[in-house]
Amino acid sequence: MRRPEVLFPGIALAVAVVLAALGIVVVTAQESAVLVKFINGSLPVDPASSLWPKPADVPLTGQTLVYPLAPAVENRAVSVAAVYNGTHIAFMLMWKDATQDVAMPGGLDVFPDAVAVQFPVSRAQLPYICMGTVDNPVNIIYWRAGVGVENLVAGAGYGLSPQQREALGLQATPTSPVELLPDSAQVVQAYAVYKDGAWYVVLVRPLGSVHPLMSSLADDFSAAFATWDGSKGERGGLKVTSGWVQFRLEKRITAAPQPTTVTATQTPATTVTQTYVVETTPAWAWAVIGVLVALLAVVAGLALRRR
Amino acid sequence: MNVRAQISMVMNLDKCIGCHTCSVTCKNVWTNRPGAEYMWWNNVETRPGPGYPRQWENQDKYNGGWALDGGKLKLRIEIKKDYKPPGLDDYYHPWTYDYEVLFSEKQTDQQPVARPISLIDGQPMDVAYGPNWNDDLAGTDLLLEDPNLDPVQKSIYAQFKDVFMMYLPRICNHCLNPSCLAACPRKALYKREEDGIVLVDQNRCRGYRYCVAACPYKKVYYNWKAGKSEKCILCYPRIEAGQPTVCSLTCVGKIRYMGVLLYDADKVLDVAAEPNPTRLVRRFIDEVLLDPFDPNVVSAARSAGIPDDWITAARRSPVYKMVKRWQVAFPLHPEFRTLPMVFYVPPLSPVVTAFEQTYGAKITDVFPRVSELRIPVKYLASMFTAGDTALVEQALRKLIAVRIYERSKNVAEPGLADKARQALAEAGLTEQDAEEMYRLFAIARYEDRFVIPTNPKRYANQPQLKAGMAGLP
Repeated sequence: MRRPEVLFPGIALAVAVVLAALGIVVVTAQESAVLVKFINGSLPVDPASSLWPKPADVPLTGQTLVYPLAPAVENRAVSVAAVYNGTHIAFMLMWKDATQDVAMPGGLDVFPDAVAVQFPVSRAQLPYICMGTVDNPVNIIYWRAGVGVENLVAGAGYGLSPQQREALGLQATPTSPVELLPDSAQVVQAYAVYKDGAWYVVLVRPLGSVHPLMSSLADDFSAAFATWDGSKGERGGLKVTSGWVQFRLEKRITAAPQPTTVTATQTPATTVTQTYVVETTPAWAWAVIGVLVALLAVVAGLALRRR
Repeated sequence: MNVRAQISMVMNLDKCIGCHTCSVTCKNVWTNRPGAEYMWWNNVETRPGPGYPRQWENQDKYNGGWALDGGKLKLRIEIKKDYKPPGLDDYYHPWTYDYEVLFSEKQTDQQPVARPISLIDGQPMDVAYGPNWNDDLAGTDLLLEDPNLDPVQKSIYAQFKDVFMMYLPRICNHCLNPSCLAACPRKALYKREEDGIVLVDQNRCRGYRYCVAACPYKKVYYNWKAGKSEKCILCYPRIEAGQPTVCSLTCVGKIRYMGVLLYDADKVLDVAAEPNPTRLVRRFIDEVLLDPFDPNVVSAARSAGIPDDWITAARRSPVYKMVKRWQVAFPLHPEFRTLPMVFYVPPLSPVVTAFEQTYGAKITDVFPRVSELRIPVKYLASMFTAGDTALVEQALRKLIAVRIYERSKNVAEPGLADKARQALAEAGLTEQDAEEMYRLFAIARYEDRFVIPTNPKRYANQPQLKAGMAGLP
C-alpha cells in the first residue's frame, strides 16, 4: 500500500497550517518556557542579587525586513531572568556590549545602547513578531542608556478610530506605528548597571495591566527581546531581535493576594473595553480554514496518486 | 509637465558684509532653547575656510547628498554604511561667559574676568573652535581647509598678495531632491506641497539622525535635549502670511530676495541624475525651472491647482529674474544632486579705486575684467556650478556690465558710453535689462525684494473672505 506515503506530506502540511493558524509557532514551541520565580516579598532591583534565578539565553539576529537594513550581524544573545510577587514582575536582562554608549548632553553623535521587551496585548493569538499588526498590537518596554524607560504600544495606532484613541489617552491621529502610552501607563521602572563589558538592566512593572493596550502578565505569557549596540550606529530598525519566548509563572508558595490591576497611578475605570481594542480573528475561524486547507491537501494528494 | 511652486531665495553675495545679523536674529527667534545651543539654522561663513560644521563640503568625511551608482541616484550613507553623524567637535562647543563673577567678585587688585563657560553643562571650558572661527580670514591654516581650493594653488592663496575672501550665508536649501527626506526611515521629513518648504515632523521624528548625516549642507541638526532633529523652517508662519523670513527681513545689506519659482516635478530626478556634474546647473535652470510667462506652463500650473495669485507672483518674482531670466544666481554645490532652491549671486571682488598704484598693470580699468578679479572664477565655479566656469564668467560679466553702464550714466568721461554699450553687448544684456538689474540689485524696495503670495491652504477658501468680509462681522 503506497497510500500512507502519499498522504503523509499532505497531513503534515495541514497540521502545520492548523497549528500556525492557532498561533502556535513551531520554533518557540520547541523551546521550554522560562520560569518566572515567585518571591514572597519585594522584588530585587540589583542585578547582582542572589534572588534572581539562573538566566535563560535568548538568541538575537539582525533585523532584515525594513530599511535601513543591518550590515551582517554577528551572533548575539540576551540572558533573561524573571521574578514576580503579588503585584509586580521584574526582568533582569544581561547582554554583552564592549562599549558603553550613554546619551548625554551635547552627545550629538552618541547612539545609546538600548534594550526592548515586547509582549502581546491580546492573549487570543501571538501577534506578528515584528512589532505587531493593526489588529493584534504589542506592548513594548523600551530602555535606552541615559534616556530612560518608556512603555509603548506598537501596531494599535491605525486600527482605532480617533474617538477610541482619545478615550485611550492617545493622540486622535496616530503619528507613528510605535506610540508612547499615556502618562498614567508609564509605570515601568528601570535599574541599569554596566559592568565588565556587559549591560545588566532590571525592568520592573506591575504584574497586571493599567491600560487596555498594556499587557497583563498575571498568567503565563510570551515575550520577545531586542538590543541595540550604539557604538555600531544601531538605532531604530537597526537592531537584533529574538523570536517569541514563553514564560511560565511559578506557583505561588504562600497565599499572596491576588494580583490586581489597581496601582497608585491607575486612572479610574473607563468604558473602554479590550474587546474592541483588540479585534483578532477568532481562533475557531482559523481552525475551520485550517481543516478546509487540510481537506484540500488530502484531495490534491489523492488526485496526484490517481495520475 | 507636473508644475509645482516653491518659495525660494536668492542671496546676492556681492552685498554681504558678514555682519551675522541674519544668524543672530534667526537664533533669537528659533534656536534660543536648550538642546539647540550649537545650532545655527542660518550661519555666515568666511570663505575660503572650513565652514560650519568644520569642512561640511567634504563628503568623504560626512557622506552627505547623493552619488551616482550605476547611473542611478543613491544616498552616500547607503553606499558607505560605517559613517557617524557629526559630533559636537565637528560643529563647536557652544559657550557663554560667566558674567555673574563681574558683579559678585570681591574687590582685589586685579579686575575680575568673565571666563568662558559651556552652554551645555555650565562648566568652565577652553574655547577651541567656533561656527565662524576664521572670521575675516583669521588664521591661514583654516583657510587651507577649504575643499573648494585647488590643491595645487592652495599655498598661493595663503600669500598676502593673492589672498581673497568672501562671505557665504547659509540656510537650509529646501531642495527639490532632498537627501535628508530620502534618508529618514520614519518618513518624518516632508516637502510641503504648496510652497516646497522641507520640514521635520516633530511627532514622527525619533532622533535616528540619518537625515543629519545625509544632508550634504549639514542643515539638519540633532537636538540632544529633545532627542529629535530639527532644521530651518523657512520661517513658514511668516511665509504663509506673505512675509519674508526673519533672516531676509533683518539683512542689513539687503542681500536677500524671496519669490516664487515654478518647477517641473517630473524632471527633478532625471536632471539630478545627470552623469556630467558640470551640466547640472544648466539643466536645472533650463529644464526643471519653468518660465511663468509661457502659456503652456501657466495652463499646466492652473490644472495642477496652483492659485492665480501664485502665478502672478511667479512672474514678478525677483528669484525668477535672477536665476532663470538673467542667469546670474546659482545653487550651492549642485554636485550634491539635491537641486537646492536657494541661489547665490557670485560676488565680484571689492571695487578697486586706486588700481594703478596698488596692482600695477594687473587691473586695467575701474571695473576689472572677469579674468582680473581677485576671487578666482575657478573657486566660485567649484562652489556654485560644479566646475562650470563659463557659467560663472557670464554672470560676473553681466554684473560688471551693469556697473559700467550705470557709471556711464553718471560720469562724464569720454568714450564711456561706448564702453558701456560694448560691455552690455558682450554680456548679452539690453539697456532695459541693465536698468532693471540695477534697480533690483542696488535700490530695490521691500516689495520688490520680497514677492511672497499668502499660503493657499491657510488663506484661500475661507468662508468669511468669500462672503466679502474680513475681521469681525
